[in-house]
Amino acid sequence: MAAQMWRVVSIYRVITLVYAAVLIVRDSGSYAHPAGGWAALAIMAAWTGVTAAEYRRPAGREAWVVATDLCVAAALIISTRWIDTAARVNAGAPTIPSAWAAAPVLACAVAGGPWAGLASGLLISVADLAEHPALPAGSTFSGTVLLLIAGGVSGYLVRLGLRAEAEIERAARLDAAAVERERLARGIHDSVLQILALVSSRGRTLGGEAAELGRLAGEQEVALRTLLADDSQPSFPPGLLDVRSLVEPFGDGRITVSCPATPVLLPAVTATGLSGAVTAALDNVVRHAGQDARAWVLVEDEGWQVRVSVRDDGAGFEDGRLADAAAEGRLGVSHSIVGRLREIGGTACLTSSPGLGTEVELRVGRT
Amino acid sequence: MSGEPDTTTAAAGPAVRVLIVDDHPIWREGTARYLAEAGFTIAGTASDGAQALRITAAARPDVVLLDLNLPDQNGAEVTRSLLTAHPAVRVLMLSASGERHDVLNAVTAGAVGYVLKSAQLTELVAAVRSASVGQPVFTSELAGLVLGEYRRLAGPGGAAAVTVSRGRSDTERSSAPRLTDRETDVLRLVAKGLTYPQIAERLTLSTRTVQNHVGNTLTKLQLHNKAQLVRYAMENGVD
Repeated sequence: MAAQMWRVVSIYRVITLVYAAVLIVRDSGSYAHPAGGWAALAIMAAWTGVTAAEYRRPAGREAWVVATDLCVAAALIISTRWIDTAARVNAGAPTIPSAWAAAPVLACAVAGGPWAGLASGLLISVADLAEHPALPAGSTFSGTVLLLIAGGVSGYLVRLGLRAEAEIERAARLDAAAVERERLARGIHDSVLQILALVSSRGRTLGGEAAELGRLAGEQEVALRTLLADDSQPSFPPGLLDVRSLVEPFGDGRITVSCPATPVLLPAVTATGLSGAVTAALDNVVRHAGQDARAWVLVEDEGWQVRVSVRDDGAGFEDGRLADAAAEGRLGVSHSIVGRLREIGGTACLTSSPGLGTEVELRVGRT
Repeated sequence: MSGEPDTTTAAAGPAVRVLIVDDHPIWREGTARYLAEAGFTIAGTASDGAQALRITAAARPDVVLLDLNLPDQNGAEVTRSLLTAHPAVRVLMLSASGERHDVLNAVTAGAVGYVLKSAQLTELVAAVRSASVGQPVFTSELAGLVLGEYRRLAGPGGAAAVTVSRGRSDTERSSAPRLTDRETDVLRLVAKGLTYPQIAERLTLSTRTVQNHVGNTLTKLQLHNKAQLVRYAMENGVD
């Protein structure tokens, strides 16, 4: 970006050098010292070359080079008084360097920003005024204003451009860092998940205290995987929740959760009500079928309704013994499940038979 | 586990040759050691799909225990290439939890089933034995997935179609495989964790019939998948 700006300064200088040369060739016949005119042109050409070379490399863009640049232009402006005739100068003839003298103003603006641009514009204007002792209001005055505007505005634009460039660079750097971090995280996550699964599998195979460790590792594996999966989930229509994502975290060594591969969407209130009922049913399992009972949760999407079944492999009881079940407090819990389902417009049904465990089936219709 | 077969049938014959494909060395080596201790012959180990194909050609395993996520190809692709080149080989997927889509794809591509990586080793041994005699390894999770897949194929799409890449035309839907009521009953009971004998008792069927029903549900999906692939190939001018 900065390099381009400096190139623009050099291009401007070359173009204005050609313009100045045309004026000098045209007017040299009328000059008081034509040889002085040719000498000034030679100096401008040489200086154009020197600055082009200097400004190409960052080391050449030092303050003293730019200051010298400014002085050379000012000196050439003032030399007009000696080279040209007083009559022509007073009649408003262009200075020897003419527009070429604005190049160092641009250089200052690029190097030092709006204030440096303004200050250098002021300096070149002072040289212009010194060259025209009898100030004709028109052309010189508007020339001065143009110089000041060029210096200030281009300095401002350059700063703005450089800042934008820095911002873009910073954003690109952050982006690249995020992508890299994500790549590393994927690898680490995968390794962690694999190890957790390994600990879970081996621990539960070994039994005893190792089984407890295995169970904990299994829980963490599911939790971490659910967390990671959240990022990549497709977005659902607002207000809908995927029942699977609510029920899945129940899965561990004892509880098996089976779901379809596609999202099971329900209104958020219905979905959370349903998962609350599943929680109650699973609490029921632990309380009545024992700590070691296994349980299976099955989520089915039948289109017009969503069905969630919670089955345990506990002792179960005969339907006729519902009174006993009520006495055990089991019915109370199931009543709370029924209540939850009624709130969300669904039904709950408890079935049990001896030796085949107990099953709670929750159904919610889609409207 | 609901999918556990009667292990006596497979245990008697010559040792089952197993190829273990996993990109995690700790898993590969650990599983190989354990299966060797359990009486299997380790035909080899591989760390990616291409290697698995090469070794299968040379080592002739009975069962390929395949990690679902390999660095070079996904489980379904490896399964398809393995079965095309070696139709007699049984592919058993080993997956982490929460990779349902990939599991389903691998199973419809022809894998006989899948075992969770966090499963107990005894479950893994039972699954490999079951796979070696060509019996589907039907865990309750897989039953849930298969039930869902049949409903997705038959259904009008709707909310469930969010993750499906393209809509299904009417012809596709009418050609979609369907479960019989009996198969649905069986699958639902498998998904709820009942063993085959328990299901047989509840539905007053023989255990053998229950096994057949379960096997059929998978075969229908696999055939449908194959037909879809052929149709896709013809429509897109692939020879």
